[in-house]
Amino acid sequence: MLAYVVRRVLQFIPVFLGVTLLLFVLRAPGVLPGDPVRLITGERAISPELYQQVVEKHHLDRPLYVQYGYYLQGLLQGDLGTSFQRDMPVRDIFAAKFPNTVRLALAAIVIEIIIGIGAGMVSALKRYSFLDVFVTLSTSILVSVPVFWLGMVMQVLFGIKFKEWGLPFMPISGMSSAQFPDWAHIILPAITLASVSTAYTARIMRSQLLEVMGQDYIRTARAKGLSSNAVVWRHAFKNALIPVVTFIGIDLGAMMGGAILTETIFNWPGVGYEIFLAIGQRDWPIVMGGVIIIVFAVMIINLIVDISYAFLDPRIRYGGEVR
Amino acid sequence: MTERLLEVDGFRMHFSTRDGVVKAVDDVSFTLDAGQTLGVVGESGSGKSVTALSIMGLVPSPPGEVVGGDIRFKGESICAMSEERMRHVRGNSIAMIFQDPMTSLNPVFRVGRQVAESLRVHKGASRAEADAQAVELLDLVGIPHAHERARDYPHEFSGGMRQRAMIAMALACDPDILIADEPTTALDVTIQAQIIELMEALQARTGTAIIIITHDLGVVADIADRVLVMYAGRPVEYGTAEEIFYRPAHPYTWGLHDSLPRHDVPGKSVLRPIEGQPPSLVDLPGGCAFHPRCPHATGRCRTEVPEPRDIHSGHKAACHYAGEPGFVRGSEPGATREVGA
Repeated sequence: MLAYVVRRVLQFIPVFLGVTLLLFVLRAPGVLPGDPVRLITGERAISPELYQQVVEKHHLDRPLYVQYGYYLQGLLQGDLGTSFQRDMPVRDIFAAKFPNTVRLALAAIVIEIIIGIGAGMVSALKRYSFLDVFVTLSTSILVSVPVFWLGMVMQVLFGIKFKEWGLPFMPISGMSSAQFPDWAHIILPAITLASVSTAYTARIMRSQLLEVMGQDYIRTARAKGLSSNAVVWRHAFKNALIPVVTFIGIDLGAMMGGAILTETIFNWPGVGYEIFLAIGQRDWPIVMGGVIIIVFAVMIINLIVDISYAFLDPRIRYGGEVR
Repeated sequence: MTERLLEVDGFRMHFSTRDGVVKAVDDVSFTLDAGQTLGVVGESGSGKSVTALSIMGLVPSPPGEVVGGDIRFKGESICAMSEERMRHVRGNSIAMIFQDPMTSLNPVFRVGRQVAESLRVHKGASRAEADAQAVELLDLVGIPHAHERARDYPHEFSGGMRQRAMIAMALACDPDILIADEPTTALDVTIQAQIIELMEALQARTGTAIIIITHDLGVVADIADRVLVMYAGRPVEYGTAEEIFYRPAHPYTWGLHDSLPRHDVPGKSVLRPIEGQPPSLVDLPGGCAFHPRCPHATGRCRTEVPEPRDIHSGHKAACHYAGEPGFVRGSEPGATREVGA
């Protein structure tokens, strides 16, 4: 197991090199418009001395591969560079934002697990019932609705219309306000972020449970004289869960990065929103730093998911212990 | 006087499907006494497995529906039992093992735990007691180092070992009846013989009655006291193993014998399979269901369903001509024309 983890961590290295190289090439002169010095100093006219100073500070006069070397060197020391616009270490900017993204992603995952798995199970166990039709239909609609549209509709409905109609309404922007308790701010963005994944989770859970319930070992369990509850919970649930856990795990990674739309719609001060703002300002160190943080988080989460399989499915054993 | 465990009496199980009513089991009768072994033989789709699942009360309804007859376990109707009561019978009094041991064990639980589960459910054993008994049972069915292997997962067992584990699981509660649905079909030939021997040895020890379902006459010859031959959901011949093997009375049973490879009889190296395909159960041929494939069929066979008739005491065959003089295995097709006309 340890050997497997070490091997997987070593695999991070080429992925990192690839991602950083790709990002670095994107900011090379001529690939994207704009003089980096102008981005740093702003639109005001500056003296040639100051211009030269900025060029030297950021090694802009050196060849691209040397600049890349400097960047990697900083990265190894935990230095993600300095923001062009705000003259702040990128690391400090994201140290403040990352927890917000994690909080939003975790809230969305909790929704996904509870509602997705629950709806999928009800749907499978009460097959062809009204509830099953409802779940199947609503999940089909949810997976085809664009996230930004859903977010905006919820803002209009639960934030604005509910207020107009005198119903209890919800905050639609930011993480805190005088009017609402802090926790209320996460509800709508978390639902928006979770919507598509919850629908997929419900569908996967439904089809998996239906498939597992048709397996021979379920017939064996029935033939033992187990009650149908024991058959479902003891024998079917764990088997059906294996692919669902895979999906949710990969999805947690995707939520770290894919929250850009949701965070932007709800002005949620997370990593994704920061990247969105930085792209508009062509603040490349922030974009690069944000992407690197997301890539790192996704890789770590995927590793944890892969390790957790071994606990769910005894057929998977990583390294060693081969009989 | 041995105890009558099971009476299947004119039992009919039909399935409603989109294509029509499938008469999966139609008018099947047999009995099983304590310590006896019954072999049920037939091709795929002949209703063998549905009969077995009906005895276990495991045919899902819908689509399955009992449309006639009854199955009685120790005089009590299984068809009329509550689910609660049936659950108590299942695994405890009547246990079942299945065709494919590769897929019949739950992949995510240790083998020992799966064997122990029946004991926990039916005997109220504590986890430790049940685990300890499971190890004994695995040892009993011939799993080496049972103590360690009980902690293995099914994928760490070979096919034969898994079937042994299935048998251990089925025998855990010392059932009155063990139903084995094609227990050797998915196994290597050498392992097949071992499993059959194991079942015989365990039967000698515990006195469990066995219903063995198979399409392999050789297996039946080894182990069965009585044999029921089924075709297209109906019983075609029922008798002692000796009668079925040495004095078969139904042309279908003759066909089964002829399609067996024999190396001990000179000139029998070429197989004579039964021509044609088993009929669709939705659209059975009129009259005797076997008539389109029967070399001896006459006009009467096409129109009139043959009722099981006594050849002699206890030996029944569902053929209009069974038991007629001259109507024996190896007789020329056409001989019946005069007899029946």
